[in-house]
Amino acid sequence: MQYALQLAGVLAIGALETVKIAVMALAISLPVGLIVGAGRYSRTRYFRWPAAAFVETFRNIPVLVSIMWFFFAFPMLVPFEISAYAAAVLALSLNTSAFFAEIFRAGIQSISPGQWDGARALGMSYRDQMRRIILPQAIRRMVPAFTNRWIELCKLTALASTISYQELMYTTKMIANAYYNPVEMYSVCGLIYLAIIYPMVRATYRLERRAAKETA
Amino acid sequence: MDYSWNFDIISRSWDLLLLGLANSVYLTAASFVLGLPLGLALALARLSRRKALSGLAGWYVDFFRATPSLVQLYWFYFALPQILNVQIEPGTAALLTLTLLSSAFVAEIFRGGIASLDKGQWDGARAIGMSYAQAMRRVILPQAIKRMIPIFLERAIELFKTSTIASVISFPELLFAAQDLAARSYRSLEVYSVVALIFMVTLISLSQITRRLELRLARSGETTTS
Repeated sequence: MQYALQLAGVLAIGALETVKIAVMALAISLPVGLIVGAGRYSRTRYFRWPAAAFVETFRNIPVLVSIMWFFFAFPMLVPFEISAYAAAVLALSLNTSAFFAEIFRAGIQSISPGQWDGARALGMSYRDQMRRIILPQAIRRMVPAFTNRWIELCKLTALASTISYQELMYTTKMIANAYYNPVEMYSVCGLIYLAIIYPMVRATYRLERRAAKETA
Repeated sequence: MDYSWNFDIISRSWDLLLLGLANSVYLTAASFVLGLPLGLALALARLSRRKALSGLAGWYVDFFRATPSLVQLYWFYFALPQILNVQIEPGTAALLTLTLLSSAFVAEIFRGGIASLDKGQWDGARAIGMSYAQAMRRVILPQAIKRMIPIFLERAIELFKTSTIASVISFPELLFAAQDLAARSYRSLEVYSVVALIFMVTLISLSQITRRLELRLARSGETTTS
């Protein structure tokens, strides 16, 4: 019994680390994704091209590959150490930002040109059109796509275990190796992820249904 | 910055990387193809009027959506062999994981595609005396599948990225080949950069093909983009 309690404590710490990585990566990805997404929509090619390159690069390199790159390759280029935490958060943030940028761009593009024309006819500046008319409508449409990506991000955090960052997956692996109980440990680990992520999946279904009703 | 680049290891071992890429492609293609019939069966189960059947299929899909693929892979590689008391090779465990994962996602695409068809198609097929199975096979699926092709390809691209997790159980796909080379040569910067580039070029080419196909399908009247 005491053994079970100790295990639960260790797993809880691991789960907390998992949440920490996910939240940190989200906090970085939201602003970066919005800026890059706006850049892709810019009329100046000096913003548009770098933004497109950013999106294509980080969307097309598998996250595990960029985690490895940031952990094993990047430190050779820079004069400072890169912790496993930093490498994981960096790789996850860049990947998620690229996807957020695409969602953001598609959301703005989905607003009918009449909305822009109408706002301009009222004498609004480009910034006002964007801030008061386009963004409020676009963001509502983007919410289900954002939450879907957030769910992906939560799942991808498990990849940090491959560079020995002690989140839930790594903790599970260590215990399973030490106690020879892979069946129990990996099943419990799966259930913990399910308990964290499943409610979010349900919430996304609800959001998608609501969005479908609004556009219908 | 005083790092001096040296790509000797790449030019000496490009055949290993190529073999890794071939294994990545094999793993992705095999699990995607195996996942298709399984996904269709799941979609039909989900659309079924029997509550137990559709509920079960729904649970299956949600389970794979709500757990990291790495946990699934470890489970099939470390836990399943103990339960069944058999040996499971890394390649088999990876294929099993990715096939089941793919089937869950493919099921959702099939379901969406079938549901997106106009109800009149069903009514028409029934009116000329077709059974449910005949209507599905001859009228609904052929139209639905055409609409779904670009989404299937997008899914296959995602699966290709996910297939890199097979490296953690030492299946010799491209990322594993990179880890192996980097460890032996101490040239992690060159090796990982080149491998990231290979992944990028491969995946961008695949996305381009998908986009072109999408445009062509849109022109032939089967709009998948709105």
